[in-house]
Amino acid sequence: MKSENPLIALKEKGQLIIPEKEAKEILEYAGIPTTRCYAVTSREQAINAAREMSYPVALKISSPHILHKSDLGGVCLNLNSDEDLAGSFERLLNITRAYKQQVDIVIQKMAPPGVELILGVFNDVHFGPVIMLGLGGIFTEVFKDLTYRLIPVEEGDARKMIASLKCHPLLEGFRGLDPVNQEAIQEAVLSVSFLALENPEIKELDINPLAVYKSGVLALDARMVLF
Amino acid sequence: MKREEGSDHGAVEAIRSIFYPQTVAVIGVSDSFQRVGYNLFESLLFGGFKGNIYPVHPRLKTVLGRKVYNSLSEIPEKVDLAIIGLNEKATISALKECGKNGVRGAVCVAGGYREIGEEGEGLEKLLQEAASCYGVSFIGPNTLGFINNEIDLNTTFYPLNLPKGSASFISQSGGLGLTFLHQAADAGLGINKWIGAGNRSNFTFTNYLSFLGEDEGTSAIGLFLEGTEDASSMVHRASRINKPVVVYKIGRSDKVSSSTLTHTGTMSGSYQVYRDIFSQFGLYTVDTIMELIASLKAFTVSALPGGAKIGIMTHTAGPSIVAADMLYSRGYSIPELTEDTLKGLYKIAGENPPIVFQNPLDVAGMGFEAGTFKDYLELFAGDPGVDLVLAIYCQHKNWRFPSPEIIQVKEKVKKPIIACYPSPGTLLEKERPLLECHGIPLFGTPEEAAWAASALVEHAARLGGRSLT
Repeated sequence: MKSENPLIALKEKGQLIIPEKEAKEILEYAGIPTTRCYAVTSREQAINAAREMSYPVALKISSPHILHKSDLGGVCLNLNSDEDLAGSFERLLNITRAYKQQVDIVIQKMAPPGVELILGVFNDVHFGPVIMLGLGGIFTEVFKDLTYRLIPVEEGDARKMIASLKCHPLLEGFRGLDPVNQEAIQEAVLSVSFLALENPEIKELDINPLAVYKSGVLALDARMVLF
Repeated sequence: MKREEGSDHGAVEAIRSIFYPQTVAVIGVSDSFQRVGYNLFESLLFGGFKGNIYPVHPRLKTVLGRKVYNSLSEIPEKVDLAIIGLNEKATISALKECGKNGVRGAVCVAGGYREIGEEGEGLEKLLQEAASCYGVSFIGPNTLGFINNEIDLNTTFYPLNLPKGSASFISQSGGLGLTFLHQAADAGLGINKWIGAGNRSNFTFTNYLSFLGEDEGTSAIGLFLEGTEDASSMVHRASRINKPVVVYKIGRSDKVSSSTLTHTGTMSGSYQVYRDIFSQFGLYTVDTIMELIASLKAFTVSALPGGAKIGIMTHTAGPSIVAADMLYSRGYSIPELTEDTLKGLYKIAGENPPIVFQNPLDVAGMGFEAGTFKDYLELFAGDPGVDLVLAIYCQHKNWRFPSPEIIQVKEKVKKPIIACYPSPGTLLEKERPLLECHGIPLFGTPEEAAWAASALVEHAARLGGRSLT
């Protein structure tokens, strides 16, 4: 963990959109575990990194100019071999070439499957900074199982947020699934609340998915927008 | 100039002065009953305001048999409140006149300001400037005004006579505010103060909440809300008011802001954001105007329960099932009866009674007669696992309502009881005064009774279980 909030340097650069790699560095600083991203500039570098972190890995594009990278086909998950990785690297490289601006390719360890939540912050037109928790992943928009609180939230609020979700039975251990660590979710909610409170320049923050396990939570993807 | 959270003591004092005037002037009175100015004046007379009332018009001599003053300066005494029934431009000059003549409070009825767009926004700024420059505080513009039923003061142009009580209401909409008043009158809900907030050019919702929070005549506050920029300071303020604040918020179907970039951002200003944050800060959200009224009725009539466990007794199953269904679906507990209660019930019912002793308790034919209804109710309500009781009795031509008996049971067990008499409204009106002056709210439908129970249980939980007096 770095001692200085990486947000400060980004803000000084005047960057308003914070892509996944930097967003995760900020989350780590705030105390939320993530699958860290590493920029790779060549196929060889990617393969070396993958061998070091061990397969399976994920390869993604990352740029302040691209907010919804999966819409562009810029996300390759579950890569299990050097061969898969090399192919995906070529494909992403082609995407980056279409951009005049700097677009990075980043590699990260593939996380084990867990229940996927969404945790975020936005500036409500009427309330100001609001924190949101809900069912994440690809189902967020379908089920809209979401709950909101005004920032800052206290421990009791965080607990009630988790308990109020329709997907709460999934967290309790549903049909033989392991119950997940709800205290870790609670801590993540409090950490995000604190991060947003301390950094009012955060306009929007999205952790989606936030994978939750028996052992804890892990931010698999994240992005931020500053004022 | 809006007054912000933290420093609204001055605003509360200004609102209080507006609500308790000795003398009221109606600026822009008319002699035609089809005009707003005429009705502003008639509302004051019809409502029975005891202070001095001065109609003002530059040319008229008399209206409704009263002398009309040609200007504010002609009025022989100090005017505390001016109700301005002029158009949006004339209102600004009238407000300045108020200031020059020492009038410190006003109601600006006219629309045509911020709500119509850019031009109106400019006018509203001029209105605000005139007010602050001349030291006048005002409610509105674009409002029906306010009612202080405690002193029979109705500043709206809708002449009304309302039942008195301790429920107060803040409405972002005039028409919905009137709907509330009429339904409240039908339900026998006594009104203390009513505020049509209008454009909130001078006072915010937070200010109005602070005022009602401190107001001695108000024991419960209702709020109809479309949406407001001071939402954050409003909920913080509401959380520091010990009185229940019941909110009816619309906008479930609103198209939400699309100017956000992330998933999370698209929910900005939405109904659910409001609803969740209200619950975070202890405001009680309701879904319909009828639920709003049932909740306020419960708060203004009944004491709070010591816990959240609800008992339902009836002599006809259906209504109790409806009430139980709603309460269960909201997550409330309708507990099993204790052994002692069951034994007691068997004792009075005799061998093989045609009743299943459980909660909800349906005593069927044993409940028709008020005396036996009471015997069962007393045992049932006395169960130590029950904190709050719904007593349901269906109207019949030849069996009377068990009102005195329900009161006796309530005094004995010292727990709140909500009465539900499915019956014509005219009969409810007859039974209501006796029951309600003994702290027992009366409703005609099981839904209303269940809403009332939810409201009491929620607020008791919010206050951390206040003991019953």
